[in-house]
Amino acid sequence: MRWWQLKKRNADLERELQSDLDLEEEEQRENGLPPEEARYAARRAFGNLTLIREQTHEAWGWAALEHFAQDIRYGVRQLTRAPAFTITAVFILALGIGGVTAVFSLIDAVLLRMLPVEKPEQLVEFKAINPAFPVNDSFSYTAFKSLQGQAQAMAGALAFRKLGNVDLEVDGRGGLAAGQLVSGSFFSVLGVGAARGRTLLPADENAAVPTPVAVIGYDYWRTRFALDPDIVGKHVLVNNVPFTIVGVTKPEFYGVQPGEKVEVSIPLTMVGSVLPGFANVGGPADALKAPFRNWLHVMGRLQDGVTRERATASLEPVFAQCMRGAAASLAGTPVDSPAVRRAYLNFRLSLEPGSQGLSALRRQFSKPLWIVMAIVGLLLLITCANVANLLLARANAREKEVAMRLALGAGKGRLVRQLLTESILPGLGGGVVGMGLAYWGNSLLLAMMTRGRSPVSLSASPDLKVLAFALAVSLLTALVFGTIPAWRAADVDPSRGLAKNARNSTALSTRSRLGKSLVVLQAAISLVLVVGAGLLARSLTNLKGFYPGFVRENVLLFSVDPTVIGKNDVVPIYEQLLTRLRIIPGVRLASLSVHEPLTTNMSTTALKVRDAAPGQQDDLAPVNVEPVGPDYFATMGTALFRGRDFSSSDRSGSTKVAVVSEALARHYFCNADPIGRLVSIPGFVGDSSWIQIVGETRDIKFHDLRETDALVLYLPLFQLPEGGATFEVRTALDPAFVQNTALDAVRSLDPRMPVHSVKTLDSQLDDSLAQERLVGSLPGVFAGLALLLTSVGLYGLMAYTVNRRTSEIGIRMALGADRGQVARMVLRETLLLVVGGLVVGLPVAFFASRLIASQLFQIKPWDPITFLGACALMMVATMAASYIPARRAASIDPLQALRTE
Amino acid sequence: MSSIPKKTPQRANLLQGTLDMLILRTLLYGPAHGHHIGKHIQRTTNDFLQMQHGSLYPALHRLEQRGWVASKWETAPDRNREFKYYRLTEKGRKQLVVEESQWKQMADAVARVMWPPAEES
Repeated sequence: MRWWQLKKRNADLERELQSDLDLEEEEQRENGLPPEEARYAARRAFGNLTLIREQTHEAWGWAALEHFAQDIRYGVRQLTRAPAFTITAVFILALGIGGVTAVFSLIDAVLLRMLPVEKPEQLVEFKAINPAFPVNDSFSYTAFKSLQGQAQAMAGALAFRKLGNVDLEVDGRGGLAAGQLVSGSFFSVLGVGAARGRTLLPADENAAVPTPVAVIGYDYWRTRFALDPDIVGKHVLVNNVPFTIVGVTKPEFYGVQPGEKVEVSIPLTMVGSVLPGFANVGGPADALKAPFRNWLHVMGRLQDGVTRERATASLEPVFAQCMRGAAASLAGTPVDSPAVRRAYLNFRLSLEPGSQGLSALRRQFSKPLWIVMAIVGLLLLITCANVANLLLARANAREKEVAMRLALGAGKGRLVRQLLTESILPGLGGGVVGMGLAYWGNSLLLAMMTRGRSPVSLSASPDLKVLAFALAVSLLTALVFGTIPAWRAADVDPSRGLAKNARNSTALSTRSRLGKSLVVLQAAISLVLVVGAGLLARSLTNLKGFYPGFVRENVLLFSVDPTVIGKNDVVPIYEQLLTRLRIIPGVRLASLSVHEPLTTNMSTTALKVRDAAPGQQDDLAPVNVEPVGPDYFATMGTALFRGRDFSSSDRSGSTKVAVVSEALARHYFCNADPIGRLVSIPGFVGDSSWIQIVGETRDIKFHDLRETDALVLYLPLFQLPEGGATFEVRTALDPAFVQNTALDAVRSLDPRMPVHSVKTLDSQLDDSLAQERLVGSLPGVFAGLALLLTSVGLYGLMAYTVNRRTSEIGIRMALGADRGQVARMVLRETLLLVVGGLVVGLPVAFFASRLIASQLFQIKPWDPITFLGACALMMVATMAASYIPARRAASIDPLQALRTE
Repeated sequence: MSSIPKKTPQRANLLQGTLDMLILRTLLYGPAHGHHIGKHIQRTTNDFLQMQHGSLYPALHRLEQRGWVASKWETAPDRNREFKYYRLTEKGRKQLVVEESQWKQMADAVARVMWPPAEES
């Protein structure tokens, strides 16, 4: 029999029993009994009807399910009879479950979810490991080609490079698009199909003359082309190079880097056309030919049944061969040096799981997200304790009911099961409401992670995994907060429980002891959260108030690259542009640099110092070389210790000059005055002529605010013109006011000039603070919630205690205690509980703060002010919570209290 | 809320097994409804097995669950009403044989202990 037939089956049984009972009754009547007595006789002959029903039901084998359904019906009835309790419990639980679910769905999207491609578990990411370098995941084109040929380990390999924002012109209208260069195998190896037209093919990459074709993403097709059905065959300009769109990828595909989107993909052999400066075609560092040019990310698909270890082993010789070739190919190039060659020879191949794609987002947010997860987990624990306390108080109210059931013969196990079912219901309710909260909280979290950066496209909509997680958490939560109260509730001596005055039973005192330990637990967890949140929030404040070596406000940034439109002599263009920018009303200063401030793509090389102190020459501390324009330091607001800023007279032909950072001066000149000293950087400029140091600046935090001070050597940009540049424009007011005028100035030079990455220095900095903001402000919110819940829990407990002790307090007052003493008594009890919580919580907090040490900035994990502040805050909050019960206790009328006894 | 009192051990178990056998044996005469079966067992044993009719139903449903009997609503010949008639299935017939032989073995074993055969001189 199936369970859905139960109802029919039940009706059938009722009919059977009734018909047989009627028959019995008839027979009894036929035997001469009066009708009334015949009925009783029939019932007697039959026995206990309810028992028969239950035993028959058990024979059907669905008793457990039936009991469960029964418990749920009963539980719903109980909960609707106490709406205040139900709403409170559901709301409190929703907070906890919602928080955990929101953070989990984010973790799922950023850290766990697999790429939406065919068999993602077969994908591997190629990495070149070298102890001397932090991370290297780029390879040269020649190395990629050699690795791609290794068919016995790899079913296929793909390579790509993100282009950032490119200028994509459609029908004479320009616009920015996130582009990438891909190998012809990119889409076929991933197994991503086309929604329209075709994807790129190996032929597109390998043709003798590379074909200018492009594939666009589905979202981009929707937003830019309004799902234009004639998209295939459309002609567009990418960085002013004509391309033909041949297809649109499937909607679910967003690229191989979660959180980042790809809008247009073109064959990587087109690099020479779209990035002529970068590609250096025909030069010694030709991106497609030079074995030492590492610029491509490489991923592969393993052959069926081949492990990563085996694939690595079989690819290792090929890779080593490539690296030897790369080192040899350095000969005669400006970047050649023994150190660089050694670096190439020391690279080892490593294959890492690529099923989730490569993600800078993952690297950046994995630790912060787990910290936030731990925090919401603790918050969930507090909500559990809170609801458990509510249930305990309720169990007291229901003591008589429970005693009655026990007296009527209910088994204790059955009773516990039913009480547990009752706690599962609010758990599930909390789960449902929590899912709603999570959905809303999710967009909030995403916004926090991504403020300032290009929009992150993560599908944060809860999927089945998240739903299952929320359900599991709800049930687990219900078990955690329901088990102890259920056992307690069923632990009633029926004879005592039914006695008229059950107030002083021993069960009650153990119950309030349990309630107290729950409050102590809550206080302890709250302390941990408050301390953690305090440390992280103060770190964030420190970071924000920290002087990064420049003035962050009122600087407009934008990047241009005249080489894209064929103007390779950039210096006159830049000078002209600077002049035009400076005359815009509201602009105070303007300068330029090769790299955006606070980005990581800087050239690193070693410095040679003339007349160096003995023993220093071998020290190859890497130096960041940063070519910048005239008045750069004035524009950025960087203080010069000594010497001068660059000026427009520092150009090719004039004396080679440089400005060094404080840290560089400290390292290479032992704090002595570096002005006038001579250095050379053969690895960077390709000749070993001497450069004179003319200035020294304060240190600037370049990559992120946490780094140790970098050694920076600034060179005049006009002495070594490269391709594109980023302009910095310092304004008197909000940069938004001059943004359009500034961009017009660029277009007035040449309407085709692509402009990209328009933003403010402030937002750029905010970008680099995204994870700090996430871990700096969220814990504060959760710690606040924890404190609130703990206070509410404490309030509930004290109110309950005062209520229970009314008569005792009445006696005390009758014997002469004054109101102040009574109030103090209540407050003292609260204080004891809180101090208990602090004693338990402090060691845990000490330990926990050590765990988040890496997230802290200019503050010690055991910072005494934060710890003391957190303790004080706990005291104040909880004392405030017990103020009302204390006043109630003090206002007890002894006469009335004793009369009720 | 209702609860199930614990079954009284041993004797109930023995009786339960026996009851199944008795029901199956009764149905050998042809289909019968619950009341019928109860009455028959009571009458045949001269009211020795004074059982409450109620205990029949869980047993009947258990037997049906196992496929030893099948049921059908039919009108009784003497009354103008439908009753739930139980009929022995083929599987039930085999089961009856098994239970019968088990019972015989058990009865023989008990008998041999209780009334040992007189030793032959």
